[in-house]
Amino acid sequence: MELETTVGSIKLRNPLILSSGILGTSYSTLQRIYEAGMGAVVTKSIGPRARKGNPNPSIFALQEIKSVINSVGLANPGYKVFREDIEKLIEKKIPTIVSIFGENEREFVEVLEGLKDLQILAFELNLSCPNIEKGGMQIGTDPESVSTIVRKIKSTTITPVWVKLTPNVNNIIDVADAAVKGGCDALVAINTLKAMVIDIETQLPILGYKRGGLSGAAIKPIGVRYVYDLYENFGEKVPIVGVGGISRGEDIIEYLLAGAKAVQIGTALGVAYPENMIRFFQMRVKKYMKEHSIEKISELIGGAHK
Amino acid sequence: MTKQTLPNTKPIMGRIIQKWEECEDTFGFLIDVPVKVKGAKPGQFIMLWVPGVDEYPIGIAGFENNVLEIGVSKMGEGTEAMINKNEGDLVGIRGFYGKPFQPPSKVNHLIIGGGFGMTPLKLLTTTLMQREEKEKIHIFEGARSKNRLMYLDWFQTLHDHKKLNFHVCTDDGSYGYKGFPTVALEDFLQKSETPSVIYVAGPERMMKVIFDIGKKYEKVIDMQMSFADRYMRCGFGLCSYCAVDPTGWRICVDGPIFNVKQIEQIEDFGNYRRIETGEKQRI
Repeated sequence: MELETTVGSIKLRNPLILSSGILGTSYSTLQRIYEAGMGAVVTKSIGPRARKGNPNPSIFALQEIKSVINSVGLANPGYKVFREDIEKLIEKKIPTIVSIFGENEREFVEVLEGLKDLQILAFELNLSCPNIEKGGMQIGTDPESVSTIVRKIKSTTITPVWVKLTPNVNNIIDVADAAVKGGCDALVAINTLKAMVIDIETQLPILGYKRGGLSGAAIKPIGVRYVYDLYENFGEKVPIVGVGGISRGEDIIEYLLAGAKAVQIGTALGVAYPENMIRFFQMRVKKYMKEHSIEKISELIGGAHK
Repeated sequence: MTKQTLPNTKPIMGRIIQKWEECEDTFGFLIDVPVKVKGAKPGQFIMLWVPGVDEYPIGIAGFENNVLEIGVSKMGEGTEAMINKNEGDLVGIRGFYGKPFQPPSKVNHLIIGGGFGMTPLKLLTTTLMQREEKEKIHIFEGARSKNRLMYLDWFQTLHDHKKLNFHVCTDDGSYGYKGFPTVALEDFLQKSETPSVIYVAGPERMMKVIFDIGKKYEKVIDMQMSFADRYMRCGFGLCSYCAVDPTGWRICVDGPIFNVKQIEQIEDFGNYRRIETGEKQRI
């Protein structure tokens, strides 16, 4: 049984990638997750300088919908400090995708310039964080800005550039199209959905930032829909990485059938024993392949488009 | 009463039913938790939400009949806001999180703490006293002066009733031994013959000193220390803002209690801690 997949020029030992923002603060957690069996890992989003992010509460679970709301707000130590962690990962031959963000084109380029000499598998542009005032989703909802930034970054580096899209738009195809025109090497869909939780006893928003982004099982059908739409529009022209709410092996199959070449998993690994989850995901994927006489996982990609 | 299992919920709102001044700048609280929760184990913690202000990890001092006991010391805006809360006010609770202390049997239990690190150690003491097997419990508590000793009356009464041995230390000699509890601990270890397990919660610098002392004595068969005094966001293993290198363990779920074999692998121990940015800072 063959689990290997490709995203553009990138070969992965299997289609499971750790998504950005989960367990990605240190090289050590990323290494641990990779060694448990993922195909690659994506770091926490890294910006031009240290950023405290938003006040707590900034992450909590919503048990009733098997989901998580967060408003971390891109807390990160800045690329100059985090570079050391990336170097350690590369030294250990861990396929590392670095998520980067900036408030504007200049900041994106600054981060990229500071890291582009490293053997990074791909840069993932976070054009979709809903938890900051400038940059993030503000850029990612404007097709013109997206295409300008992607073009600029593509002219700065030979490393593949992935663009992570926000679902918080009227038409994701417009933004995706802009990213493709800018020359991106893959589309990653989706980031979190704008969300909020109010405590009815104190009548206050719970998150310190008041507003947040939703991840986890509740957003899976939305992610699948976006991936399906993107695949229908771009077909084989640009690879798609599916992300959003994967919590069972079956969800991975669903994303592949919708058209994803690989998937990213985050919230489901935010548990006491992520290693067990990863093993479980792989077991279920293999079981499905066996039951459906599928030799290569690539046979599944886009299978639902009939 | 709704049946619900914690963790992995939004904050559950509990009402403060009692508040008292435990010692200078430190208050004890009893909070009524309005959902059925499994018992808390010593060393576990909650994420305490002070509505509209902050959320942070706090050790559990007791949990009985769905009433939670915590202790909060004035450390910053978030803890000060909690201290300003009164009986009847609501606060949010997530938890109980983390792996607990795991006391073995047939050993001397040496419990050492300072500051509001004493909170989880109170629950540990209660749990040990309830065990059928009666082993020797020694408490080593240190503070700058008498008015900063947590649970002083509680420990002193238990000592007077011969339930445990209370080795109380103050820097200024205003109560008990004059000096650090680490010195009292080493004095004790030199004289004792029995195999011992050391439990610590408190400032990491102090934990490091105790760790180095404990390593010198073969009779110290294990040391279990709480790393809960670190920056956390989620509390359930998702964000990794509390992760330690090079093991990639998250304090919130792989800890906060680590044993001697684990602590030996944590290079950050006593050296670095993460701040809100995820960056490491010298301790």
